[in-house]
Amino acid sequence: MSLIRLWILFLLLFGMTTPLFSGEPQEQLQQTTDKVLAILSDPNLKSPEKAKERRELILRVVDERFDWEEMARRCLARHWVQRTPEEKREFIHLFKELLQQVYMDKVEAYSWNKIQYEGETIDGNYGTVKVKIFTSKEQPIRVEYRLLKKGPHWLVYDFSIEGISMVNNYRTQFNEIIVKSSYRELIKRLKTKVSQP
Amino acid sequence: MPIESKAELSDGIDTEEFNSGFEDRSKSDWMARSDGRMEFKGESEPSFPEEEVLEEKIRDPLEPLNRIFFHINDRLYFWVLKPVASGYQKVFSKEVRIGVSNFFSNIATPIRLVNCVLQANLKGAATEALRFLINTPFGLFGFLDPAQKEFGLEKREEDLGQTFGVWGFGPAFYLEWPILGSSNLRDTLGYIGDLFLDPITYLPSTPIRIGLKTYEKVNETSLRLGEYEDFKKVVLDPYIAKREAYHQNRKYKIKERK
Repeated sequence: MSLIRLWILFLLLFGMTTPLFSGEPQEQLQQTTDKVLAILSDPNLKSPEKAKERRELILRVVDERFDWEEMARRCLARHWVQRTPEEKREFIHLFKELLQQVYMDKVEAYSWNKIQYEGETIDGNYGTVKVKIFTSKEQPIRVEYRLLKKGPHWLVYDFSIEGISMVNNYRTQFNEIIVKSSYRELIKRLKTKVSQP
Repeated sequence: MPIESKAELSDGIDTEEFNSGFEDRSKSDWMARSDGRMEFKGESEPSFPEEEVLEEKIRDPLEPLNRIFFHINDRLYFWVLKPVASGYQKVFSKEVRIGVSNFFSNIATPIRLVNCVLQANLKGAATEALRFLINTPFGLFGFLDPAQKEFGLEKREEDLGQTFGVWGFGPAFYLEWPILGSSNLRDTLGYIGDLFLDPITYLPSTPIRIGLKTYEKVNETSLRLGEYEDFKKVVLDPYIAKREAYHQNRKYKIKERK
């Protein structure tokens, strides 16, 4: 058995690339996830009557790191430039509501056992951070965050789960709806989604 | 859910149509980045990294038919699979169901191992071989996964569709199969090829083969109840969202092999 262990140790070392230091994007993202995890594990916020307060606390932390406008803009892509400032504001609001509704449920439901940072890339104002999230389920989930530097802050404008980019996926859906029906129809559908949890 | 009747018989990757809004920008607005990607540096709008603007979309010439099968699969899930899997879930504990899932996965080792070899991924092949050699005798014929738990040997989810992808074949076009779900032409051929590597295929009786496959599907579903429902909550067009998610995930799996 010890021979097998040695063999495996070799395989593991072979495949390991540990970053020696972490740069700004990862550092800032890690601050955010650490804060969220701290809120989630806070025993004072565990009771059902504190659920709303807890959710608001998490949302505030996430808000600091997520660039909703950038996300919304990229999801609308070429249709964005045709929108009036009011339409843009309305769209950003609806889009944010939709994402929060869904992902907050996920964040609260999962038992986050561990988040492992798997490396980052920086290219000018663009950065990516790869993480592996270990939940109670068997296989870890691989997530890649895409960040854009605005002033001193690195802000998330997209993330992909197992290679499925949130922005890309919504952009294709939004584009088809606008092309096949209209922008109005898209807003109508978004409003229906957001109003029925 | 309405089935869209308008067929989009595009005969190519329709990124051109998709990006037509960017055409008016002069070439000088695009700057090459160090990694070879192009980035928009124009004044009118902030920059888009190139891969997001020119993302390759999957062709879907059979969309009307695919949407019908999608609708059938959707009903099959809610009317048949979900009730059966929910009942099953109530009878057997999660540990048992994960054990069953591991057992089927262990039996299917030849698929993953051979595909690792075909992809010249010898480390992956060695990992799969070791996993089988550890889990079969020490993990109750694969019900348990000591290879992962004690040695950190993660399963390599490789299949022939991915192997074809590694060899340079594209997905051709999207397909939604009844019962089997999302696929494309390349992955469908891969699926058929993988059947030859699946030990269950070599069982002598057809009812037993179908019965085992059905049981495996029910067991897997019992571990993922609620996921499809959640997915439908967050998307505006579940057909398109599923198609794009499948396409992106497959590309990712082909690229990320190690």
